[in-house]
Amino acid sequence: MSAKTPICVQIAALGGQGGGVLAEWMAEAAHASGYPAQVTSIPGVAQRTGATTYYFEMFPDKNTVEKPVFCLFPDADGLDLMIAMEPMEAARALDLGLITERTTVLTAKSRIYSTAEKSVAGDGAFDTDTLFEALEGAARAVISLDMEDLTAKPGAPGNAVMFGAIAASGVLPFLDEDYHQAIRIKGVAVEPSLVDFASGLNHDQTPKETVSANDNMNLDPAPAALVKEIDGLPEGFRALAGHICSRLIDYQDEGYARSFLERMQPFVGASPELVAEIARRLGAWMTYEDVIRVAQLKTRPGRLARIRGEIGVDQDAPLSVIEFLKPGRDEFASLLPPAFGRKIMSGHDPSSTAGLRLKLPTTTVFGYGALKLLSKLRGWRPRTYRFELEQTAIDQWLGAVERALEVELDLAFRTAELAVMARGYGGVRSRGLEKLNILFRDWSRKLDDDHSALSAEVSTLLHQARHDPDRDCGKTD
Amino acid sequence: MSTTVKALTRERSFALEAEKLLLGEGDEFHGEAILAVTKALLQAGVSYVGGYPGAPVSHLMDVLADARKTVLEPYGIHFEQSASEAGAAAMLGASINYPLRGAVTWKSIVGTNVASDALSNLSSAGVRGGAVIVIGEDYGEGASVIQERTHATAMKSSMPLIDPRYDMPTIVDLTEHAFELSEASNLPVLLSLRIRACHMTGSFKCRENQPAMRKRQNAPMEANYDYSKIVLPPSTYAQEKAKIEQRLPAARDYIKANGLNETFPGKGGRLGIIMQGGTHGVVLRSLARLGHADAFGNSDIALHVLNVIHPLVPEQITEFLADKDSVLIIEEGHPAFIEEQIRSIVQQAEMTCAIYGKNVIPSSGEYITPVVRAGIATYLNAVGDKTVAGKTKRLNNAIEKRVKTAAKSKPAQALPPRPPSFCTGCPERPIFTALKLIMRDRGPLHVSMDIGCSTFATLPPFNIGNTVLGYGLSLASSGAIAGSLDQPAIAVMGDGAFWHNGLTTGAINAQWQGMDAVLVILENGYASATGQQHVPSTGATPIGEPIQITIEQTLRGIGVKQIRYVDSYDVKDVRKALEEALDARGKGLRVIMSANECMLAKKRRGNAVKAKALKAGTPVRNARYGVDAEVCTGDHSCIRMNGCPSLTLKPTTDPLKDGPTAYVDDNCAACNLCGENAHAAQLCPSFYKARGIVNPSALQRWMTGVNAKMLKWIGAS
Repeated sequence: MSAKTPICVQIAALGGQGGGVLAEWMAEAAHASGYPAQVTSIPGVAQRTGATTYYFEMFPDKNTVEKPVFCLFPDADGLDLMIAMEPMEAARALDLGLITERTTVLTAKSRIYSTAEKSVAGDGAFDTDTLFEALEGAARAVISLDMEDLTAKPGAPGNAVMFGAIAASGVLPFLDEDYHQAIRIKGVAVEPSLVDFASGLNHDQTPKETVSANDNMNLDPAPAALVKEIDGLPEGFRALAGHICSRLIDYQDEGYARSFLERMQPFVGASPELVAEIARRLGAWMTYEDVIRVAQLKTRPGRLARIRGEIGVDQDAPLSVIEFLKPGRDEFASLLPPAFGRKIMSGHDPSSTAGLRLKLPTTTVFGYGALKLLSKLRGWRPRTYRFELEQTAIDQWLGAVERALEVELDLAFRTAELAVMARGYGGVRSRGLEKLNILFRDWSRKLDDDHSALSAEVSTLLHQARHDPDRDCGKTD
Repeated sequence: MSTTVKALTRERSFALEAEKLLLGEGDEFHGEAILAVTKALLQAGVSYVGGYPGAPVSHLMDVLADARKTVLEPYGIHFEQSASEAGAAAMLGASINYPLRGAVTWKSIVGTNVASDALSNLSSAGVRGGAVIVIGEDYGEGASVIQERTHATAMKSSMPLIDPRYDMPTIVDLTEHAFELSEASNLPVLLSLRIRACHMTGSFKCRENQPAMRKRQNAPMEANYDYSKIVLPPSTYAQEKAKIEQRLPAARDYIKANGLNETFPGKGGRLGIIMQGGTHGVVLRSLARLGHADAFGNSDIALHVLNVIHPLVPEQITEFLADKDSVLIIEEGHPAFIEEQIRSIVQQAEMTCAIYGKNVIPSSGEYITPVVRAGIATYLNAVGDKTVAGKTKRLNNAIEKRVKTAAKSKPAQALPPRPPSFCTGCPERPIFTALKLIMRDRGPLHVSMDIGCSTFATLPPFNIGNTVLGYGLSLASSGAIAGSLDQPAIAVMGDGAFWHNGLTTGAINAQWQGMDAVLVILENGYASATGQQHVPSTGATPIGEPIQITIEQTLRGIGVKQIRYVDSYDVKDVRKALEEALDARGKGLRVIMSANECMLAKKRRGNAVKAKALKAGTPVRNARYGVDAEVCTGDHSCIRMNGCPSLTLKPTTDPLKDGPTAYVDDNCAACNLCGENAHAAQLCPSFYKARGIVNPSALQRWMTGVNAKMLKWIGAS
């Protein structure tokens, strides 16, 4: 009996990623060069984004006298090559026991997030490092490809690049010519595919470090005016403080930035993690997005040029950009002096979704001009109702963190995190602030009475803010 | 408001596949199994073909629908895309009185359930011409239906069931044998292919196609009356008797005489395996990995392959088991009909042969290689001699060890699932955004769902839908509960579901009985979930000729007054329409219709036009949505209201952001849902819609220049 066994390859792709064509290319390459082979698929229904699976088997000898018996399913420890157009799908194969020390894994580097990951408020994305470490721990070799770089045409499926990488991996016995032949025979986007095939074939296959989200934070330099103050801070905190100060100057003015540093004073002695956490949250909260800020961000120089790039039209081609704004009573009041603002909002639910459904064209003089004018109200901001509300809430929160710190570091940290509830717009935000207000009312007393109960309450709120933020957006609870 | 009839057509061609159907004597066919089966139907000389599209057999119909000029007309074949599987089964009635060969196809088990009334009557009356049903057994991974097998239907209606070994020439031969078998036994014959088998590639030597009967014979046939074919007493009694005493025995004789089942003696020995043909590949791979077979299917262990799993041929079983102490039966699914029959055959023959089956392989789930290998290993360890058991244990343990080692580096955290969902820009999605918004204000609503794309609303981020009872049955399934709920119940169905069964079982019945109901009809123009096959209201026949049948005319025809069209992308209006319908409780049947075309089909057509224009250098409109990352706070409520694949995440580079920000990728279809939601759900102001023109005209460039100057003057760039 012949001891040779078939070469087994699984392709995992998402609907629309060209996994089917890739599988057919492999079948054609085998057919054209005389290797017995079989490919099959679970293309799923017509819907996009569902996981689709293709399975390919070939016998390593050409034109065998007897016909090999192929199988439609991979066995556990049964794959020589695992191809994933999305890395999570490779991890799924590992989860099923298909990937072992005999398996070479070829995977696209960048993630396409699942709905489960995207829906989480905050960061629900599966950690990419963990994912690749798992694959590297289990497989014979893991080769990841940066499809964005390797495809000639932006937005191209990348299956031809992958086909090239398959050739480079040397797991299949085909000659480069067989691969080219397959692309020609199949006849789908022949020329561009041949180009992408080449870049996949020639790309450097030494496993590269995958960058995780937190490694590449951009910190703005500290503003000149505050360098002295910032140098006075603990070493580990300076960069972040500098970043936040320049952000606050962009948002309001130097005085506002100084008030940030003053607000941080009581904490700078605490553990670096806590200091960073408080600073991040405080910086974010102090740059709360009111009408003025949104107008400022939407009229940033260069924004229109960036958008032209996104839709691929050049400088002298027509472009129209529509902003979707819905100013309501709340937004209007937020621009008025406290006394008037309070009057207008009294007896009105700030989370009401009623408002003016504006579709503002920022590519017209009128639309852009309107936002530009709004952004000019920056100097007026400190005199507004909204400013007063936010500053009071901020100080209430910081006070709570400070008191918590006297009791327990961990509680202080989680209390700092609670600022996450001041996130979002309209209803989401006002409901969050209301909850904080209720929690922080006579915070000190609760802290002294039963701080473990309070600690539990804080954790519950945090969990809800992250995992079930819509829970109280209506009667659904 | 009412829509004018759209004349839609799929921008897909199956011309290449159709060419393969014309291959002649001795040519080599290379392609997918389901296409090979289609070719086999032509080689068998079918006079008619019908069916209802459904993965994994849609392809058979797609290709023929596209091949009217090249295949259907030249060979004189009557082709129908039937109204339902019941309609398809009824087509086989043509073979009751006349020597016409015909074939129909559908997805099973669901399609077989819908067809079973016609199938019972057909097999009771019996057929003269070969009648074959090609079923796509939608079982296991990738299945979109309840997990049941067709075996039970075949048995209760006495229909031979072919489950071929997955080898291309074998599949083709058995497809042709199916017609002979049907004619020899006067029974309709089921040919079952699993999902992966339908899509597997392979080659076979072709035979010449046979023209249909009406082409072969010169004179048209004369109508034939034969009371014995009518399903009324006393004929029915005679027919039942005939099944037992003539037809099934005749089927067994044909199976035996033509060697449809295969025996591979291996190296003799006192062990054996009896398997369904469809599991042959998995069994051989398992044996090879356990060291008892080579890659070419040469097994040390004796194998009996049942390419026909109903009816069994007792003599073949007893013959195979004559010299066996034990046998393992590989039978996918539940109940274990084959195993139970073999037990009784063995008992009646007073043989002493230990029977293994469901006691070593699970009763539920698909028989993939790891499952079957484990089962075979258990069997061989239990009954094999020292060498067989030893080898098995050693090799199986080695595999398990490598799997365990790899498993050590699995991530601790569970992997996020990736179920299918609405496509980018799908016109059905906004309907469920509106429903979600309504439920936030009014509390949970009971929504009975249907079969089709809309079923995906039951998955995150919408989680809308309480029951799914079958194709076109959503409205019928809300009738009994509606009255007991604090709010009106809503039924959702697509146009495919409406025409399949929803019109009669749902709409007409609700109208007739004055049922208090809200029916949402999502008319996207096609049976989209199975690949944009035409439906009666597409505006074109199955083979693409324009025709006007509209859902609205039909509903008005049965007296439905409250019909409200919505542009599904206008969430505010959809919400208003739904709330009005809910508030009109007690006012009979209220229908809300969306007539936006399936975005996949629309895009496919649009892209073709665009590509042409870009080549020609003429103006092309580009539009998409975007998110200002600086403005996004990372709350992602926009995603929880939408779920569009192109609305995703982008890692942030700003330490002040709490996690990744929302991001719209290049696939955006600019369907406007993001903008609508920003308003309807009071989301953040980060979204913007950008429209631009590639290859603008001189005038457009000039105007852009003027506008640019003015913008620059106020600081824009």
